[in-house]
Amino acid sequence: MSRALLSSLLPLTVAIPITGAVLCPLAARISRFAPMVLSVIALLSSGALLVCMAPKVYSGRVLSHFMGHWRPISSHALGISFAADAWGLSFALITAFLGALLILYTLSELGELGPKELGGYSCLFLLLCAALIGSGLTGDLFNLFVWFEVAALASYALTAFFLERPIALEAAFKILVLTTIASFAIFLGAALIYGSTGALDFGQIERSLANRTPAVALVALGLLVGGFATKAGIVPFHGWLPDAHEAAPGPVSALFSGLMVNLGIVAIARIVFEVFTTSHGHDVLGLLMVLGLVSALGGALFALVQDDLKRLLAYDTISQMGVLLVGLSTGTSSGLAGASYHLIDHALFKALLFLCAGSIVHMTGATKLSEMGGLARRYPSLAGAFVVGVASISGIPPFNGYVSLGLIHDALRSSGQFLPFAVMLIAQIVTMAALGRAAWQAFVAHPSNEELAHNEDLRPGMIVALTALALGCLAFGIFPTFALSHFAAPAASALLHPGDYGRAVLASGGAIPKLRVSFDYWNPGDLVAVASTILLAIPCAMLAVSKGHTTMAVRRRIQDGSVNDYASYLVSGMLIMLVVLAR
Amino acid sequence: MATRKKLSRRDRRDERAIRDREPTHRRGVGAVLALALAAVLGVTVWHLPREHASLSVVAREAMTVAIPKWHILEPVNEVVYGTRGFDTFGETFLLLAAVIGIGLIVRSKEPRDEFLGEELAAAREQHAEVTRAANAGTEQVARSAEAAEQGQRRGPPTPDEEGLGAPWPERSDAMTVIVRGAVRLLAPLLAICGCYLVAWGYSPGGGFPGGAVIVGVVLLAYVSLGHRRVVRVIRPGLVELLEMIGALLIIVVELGGFVFKGSFSANFLPLSQLATIPSGGILQAFSGSEFIEVATGLTLAIFGLLGMAHDWANEEETQKSNKPIRSSPSRRGRATQQ
Amino acid sequence: MIVVNYLAAVSLFSMGLYAVLTKRNLLKIVMGLSLMESSTYLFLLSLAYRARSTAPVLLNPPHGESASALARGDVADPVLQNFCLTAIVIGVAVTGVFLAVAVRLVQHYRTLDADKVRELRG
Repeated sequence: MSRALLSSLLPLTVAIPITGAVLCPLAARISRFAPMVLSVIALLSSGALLVCMAPKVYSGRVLSHFMGHWRPISSHALGISFAADAWGLSFALITAFLGALLILYTLSELGELGPKELGGYSCLFLLLCAALIGSGLTGDLFNLFVWFEVAALASYALTAFFLERPIALEAAFKILVLTTIASFAIFLGAALIYGSTGALDFGQIERSLANRTPAVALVALGLLVGGFATKAGIVPFHGWLPDAHEAAPGPVSALFSGLMVNLGIVAIARIVFEVFTTSHGHDVLGLLMVLGLVSALGGALFALVQDDLKRLLAYDTISQMGVLLVGLSTGTSSGLAGASYHLIDHALFKALLFLCAGSIVHMTGATKLSEMGGLARRYPSLAGAFVVGVASISGIPPFNGYVSLGLIHDALRSSGQFLPFAVMLIAQIVTMAALGRAAWQAFVAHPSNEELAHNEDLRPGMIVALTALALGCLAFGIFPTFALSHFAAPAASALLHPGDYGRAVLASGGAIPKLRVSFDYWNPGDLVAVASTILLAIPCAMLAVSKGHTTMAVRRRIQDGSVNDYASYLVSGMLIMLVVLAR
Repeated sequence: MATRKKLSRRDRRDERAIRDREPTHRRGVGAVLALALAAVLGVTVWHLPREHASLSVVAREAMTVAIPKWHILEPVNEVVYGTRGFDTFGETFLLLAAVIGIGLIVRSKEPRDEFLGEELAAAREQHAEVTRAANAGTEQVARSAEAAEQGQRRGPPTPDEEGLGAPWPERSDAMTVIVRGAVRLLAPLLAICGCYLVAWGYSPGGGFPGGAVIVGVVLLAYVSLGHRRVVRVIRPGLVELLEMIGALLIIVVELGGFVFKGSFSANFLPLSQLATIPSGGILQAFSGSEFIEVATGLTLAIFGLLGMAHDWANEEETQKSNKPIRSSPSRRGRATQQ
Repeated sequence: MIVVNYLAAVSLFSMGLYAVLTKRNLLKIVMGLSLMESSTYLFLLSLAYRARSTAPVLLNPPHGESASALARGDVADPVLQNFCLTAIVIGVAVTGVFLAVAVRLVQHYRTLDADKVRELRG
């Protein structure tokens, strides 16, 4: 297929899920399962289109298309462009396929709900996935904002899905307030960029900022990064994340953690690396490194002492997003490749963990770890899947976390940043302790009472989905050279060559030079590090089990559940960012 | 004597609660943060280009291609539905997501025929809330207000049937005959104004303002003619179908560009003369479908909010079904003792 | 591009933000967000204005100019008006969802006080 034809198919990858979303409430009138089947078909066809484009994009080309054939005039873009580069395409691919898997899971877990509920659920799920695909592939700043808003609006009602739980509505209110403030920040940022450069297309903005960066543009950078960091759940902007994940249904939490928070990271990387090329007297990478480290350590520490399983996993998401930001802010090829690899890995293992947690809540009604216990005997496949997820996050060798975390650690060591490296190792130890403790308390530990009041069986569809995700974690761990050279290195290369990206977007297509990133799998240093983190994590976990509840007062003072306080944290984070960037 | 002293202590505690509106530390922190942000943004906007800056190339191009390429006299609509039509496409589905979301939040409870662990969790959470609310004394007030709201005491259908000198508040559904007559006369005219705004999209207008006017007309009819009569006409099933048809029409308009001209959101309809209703090719088609979608979507949202019932937080049922997660140890204990 | 308008928009934005940061009533928080939204409309429309420009409408051009001369002359920016339209739709959508959530929240918690709706803590 010619490149021009292939590029013109790009908007269809967003239009197909949207058409499915429109047909879902109508399909719900026919039968209960019709909306879900329709959603799976829509996402898989969008995924198939993306796979058609993958060979060209991953071999170093950028496929770019201007809507309505509104081509740029003397490099001033008139219309909206869709540009598929390796970084955005990876995100779009994982969204399409993981989204389809999650809908299959919902079909088998929640398939007995009423038709109107299932129709609305599928419609919103599809709109969210379509918005995520759109934001990965877009080449225009205002279009990115529009897809961000579509994703946000779809997420509000999905959080509040189980209306009988009061905490679902409370969580929906908090995510509403914080994401709305973030969307105002992004909107103001986009308006300021248009006001000072007259451009909205990424390639055009990059070109006009390449020579001089006015202070207005730096303030806009701060606002944009702050707004997208709220979506990503980075530390001062994270207030909504634990509550929304705790209260949402299992597959929805998996969608949020596996895919939606990545929207923030993908957008931040796009803006920082491909628009505001990082060589103009502002230290956005240093700022992102600090935020990343604080999130990684803070999230892990909060996760260590949680009682509610889904809240624990949500704090771990905050920690992993911090790890991703640290990888991005090293600015080196192995750091960026590690971040791209970790994006895919995190989607897989976090979805696996959240699906396990959600199914425990669904089948037994127990949400707190102190109520669970000894579930391994009753649900051995769930226990196996959860252990695979824990091993992946901890970075234990045959699984995928080892490769991505190893790449990020290599980047930190090779650029001589030893303090961040130490903080990351401590965060890793604490994460391993937190998740190991969760696995032990939920599945192995002897429960205080004998039998569960309710226990349903695992449906076959659920087992298939969990197995698929576990195999995915294993596959990305066993074939690192293939994945690295074919997926992660092109993505890193796309981010590190902003001039080529910008030119390709404006010229409706272009090439990006190839990058070689290598990872030494059997490096003795890495293996020793893994072994020592496991050894150090065990006493940490035992300490958490015995003394965890004493930290409750401090935790409640910091994350105190009040929407006003979370908004204050957001605004203070935004102010610090603006002042540091626009000095 | 003793009961009087207890009452006054409770009164004093209530007074203190009323006085303590906002905790003061938040006022200080909030003022500092808001002022700091105002200062930073104020300095930023001071440095934006001023009045004599030239228009950006995008804007200038939008103005100059309006007549030759689109045969339309309204460059704003040309930008909204034509050059940057993909943004408007995304925005339509933003509104759709919000309307479906509101529809999910206001849905009434469908019976669940199988065990759902979330229900057990919900029952526990609601029980905790109920106990706290009951202790705070707000439960009684809320229940009596709700009983009054459920319409257990229906009034006459219009105030004309209530005699002169009837006590306030009015319990009738609709308004007096003068209001109803005026609305019956004006509502069609206003609806025609809304359709005029859409049809003459080549002058300031378009789908969004037209849709908003139609929603206003529907609300006017609701307020004056009463809930019972309007709800018979505005059936949710029908309105939802119309909304999905509007959304599908928008997708067809954009896809038509792909099918006929090889690019999504390209113009494939013939342009006709300036200042006529079909001028502008797909612009008017997009605008018209947007009109249907916005009008029906907002109507669904508003009527959904008005029709919300209190059926998800049933305190009596949760108190009966408050079962623990694990079985109690007493059975085992008694068994071993024997 | 009127500086006074910009400063007015910035002060409205901070007033709305103050309401969101300090008020405990959930509906007052919603109103604060609404105020922030309106200030962004003012900001955008002032950003669109140029000195001595007229509205970007080519129907019945003023001063007896022809439509094509007006298209090359002094007009305000139509692209920012597109942004404003998008922002208005977003505002309507978000406020609708806010109010639905607030009603359901009150049905459960029986209060509009944000400090009492605090089950999820720590």
